[in-house]
Amino acid sequence: MSKYMNDKNPWYRLDLSAIVYPTLQRKNFSSVYRLSVVLNETVEPDLLQKAVDRTLPRFPTFKVAMRKGVFWRYLEPNDRPGPFVEPDIANPCMPMYFQNNSRYLIRIYYYQNRISLEVFHSLSDGGGAMYLLRTMTAVYLRLKGYPIPVGFGVLDLYEEPNPEELEDAYIRYASSRVRPPRSREKTYRIRGTREPFHTLNIITGVLPVKQVLSVAKHYQVSVTEYLNAVLLHALLKKQKEDQVFRELPVSIAMPVNLRRFFPSRTLRNFITMVYPSIDPRMGEYTFEEILIQVHHYMRYYINNKFLNADITTNAAVTKNPLIRVVPLFFKDFVVRQFYKRVQDKQSSAGLTNLGVVETPEEMRPHIERFDVLMGQPFSARTNCAIVSYGENLSISFASSIVEADVERLFFRKLVQDGIHVKIESNRKTG
Amino acid sequence: MSYCVNCGVELHATCMACPLCGTRVLNPGQPVDRESPTPFPARKGDVTPVQKGDLMILISIILAVTAGVCGLLNLLIFRGSSWSLYVIGGCLLVWVFCLPIFLNRLSPYVSLFLDGAGIAMYFGIIAWLHPGSGWYPRLAFPLTVLATGLILLFAVCVRQVHASILSRAALVLGEIAVFTVAVGFLIDLFCQTALSITWSAIVLTCCVIIDAALITIIRRARLREEVRRRMHI
Repeated sequence: MSKYMNDKNPWYRLDLSAIVYPTLQRKNFSSVYRLSVVLNETVEPDLLQKAVDRTLPRFPTFKVAMRKGVFWRYLEPNDRPGPFVEPDIANPCMPMYFQNNSRYLIRIYYYQNRISLEVFHSLSDGGGAMYLLRTMTAVYLRLKGYPIPVGFGVLDLYEEPNPEELEDAYIRYASSRVRPPRSREKTYRIRGTREPFHTLNIITGVLPVKQVLSVAKHYQVSVTEYLNAVLLHALLKKQKEDQVFRELPVSIAMPVNLRRFFPSRTLRNFITMVYPSIDPRMGEYTFEEILIQVHHYMRYYINNKFLNADITTNAAVTKNPLIRVVPLFFKDFVVRQFYKRVQDKQSSAGLTNLGVVETPEEMRPHIERFDVLMGQPFSARTNCAIVSYGENLSISFASSIVEADVERLFFRKLVQDGIHVKIESNRKTG
Repeated sequence: MSYCVNCGVELHATCMACPLCGTRVLNPGQPVDRESPTPFPARKGDVTPVQKGDLMILISIILAVTAGVCGLLNLLIFRGSSWSLYVIGGCLLVWVFCLPIFLNRLSPYVSLFLDGAGIAMYFGIIAWLHPGSGWYPRLAFPLTVLATGLILLFAVCVRQVHASILSRAALVLGEIAVFTVAVGFLIDLFCQTALSITWSAIVLTCCVIIDAALITIIRRARLREEVRRRMHI
């Protein structure tokens, strides 16, 4: 993201990924995700509010409001009072209208031991927002009287934001001379009963990291590859159980954190999608075969050359002078139609792995685990988000359908592989 | 701690049934904990609707001032005719058209009905300023009512019935045919000639042919697939 420096009125262009999310905004849908930290003690709302007020000025790209221009949307600094911490709700990630909440695009909730941060995806990806959550938690713990140092994801409140934190890193790195096509095959889509508006079903499984690592090691793959394969396996089984008239490939949309491949300290979006998939029309896949397929797909595609080509394709769209001069409402219409008719149909489920969260050692005794929720899915399906901290690996499914078939198949496979799974859910089971 | 007998996962102490398969927890050794807090709160959040009050006030004031000033000019300075009624009626019409922007919960049917009523009112103003030949009660009013009714019917079809694009196209063509024939009849009545289908027959024929083709395509699965294949974008 480039910042237009004007001392009085700075404003920010939306980065390449951020452009899409506001166009998908509907009365009953916003691209909002949630990061939570579960502490070892009950959260005090007053102190948390103080921590938020102290932390947010250090993160100027989160203290913004969304505005509409003639050709593009943009972000401008928001000095209105807020955001205010609220008691948590049963239906997280509910739509976020740009004019409400004093125009802030983040929300902070507390419930028992948990602090939750909800972010509109145009501001940042999970990797960037995790810096805000960790810094906010560190400030909160300092207010409680614990000495928490800076580093390992906790930023220094007294230093000026580094310009690199505010940049649109896509533009810096998009340099490929070829651009792979974007369109892919239609995939299997879960058919479920839609829940009424404002319902988000969550099932969180907490797993011991050591057990998952040893199982992944046994299969000679990484944890992400293993969990991807388990989800693909569950989706394939679900498609078979559905007895569909015509089988389709099963595919997962998985965001890749580009900071691992292109050094950048940006707190903005810097992700791209890869789509590991299995085509059951070629024959029955055993779990081991799915693992091999996913393993090789990941090793082949997730490297700086392929990812560069991918982001160059995205960058080309916003650089095209013809596209740039089209008015915003028309761009919105085209992007929404493209997403609805093409992009959304290219994957059967979403899976994101934020990896291992680092914090200063001094924070560890106060934190039990981190949780991630991918938020309300655009169409009737389920999304899976993974994050690990210390001894715990947390897998959260968020879905807007009544049936929990994919979740059941997924966790049962983990149990079959000898992993202990502890389930928490907001589904009504009484 | 209890485990689901079906799935083998450990359940949260407050869980009464497995969230994955729905199997009830029956553990005599450790009954379900109904006292401790559940992992997620029970309070449901509501999205506050966007406040568009400021915009409504701004547009209403602009339109009201325009209408008021023109009315005064007409009364005090340019007294030739009641021209200001056009402006006042126009302002009222624009305000009615803007209602769905201001009011989130306004039903689209009510909004469309009000739009039709607004247009009929504007024609009424013109008829009042230019009386004679009875064009308003015999031509403009019935046509406005008919057009509003047909648009409402289309809105019901789009919102309530899960119809394909082809079915919607067939409905639109049917409505065009009905409207054209009605225009023909009303003109005949207005000119006090015998009712007949003349020029409207051409439109009617075209619509009937296309509608027949569309309905055949909709009803024949193979044809429908063929069209979908050849016309896909």
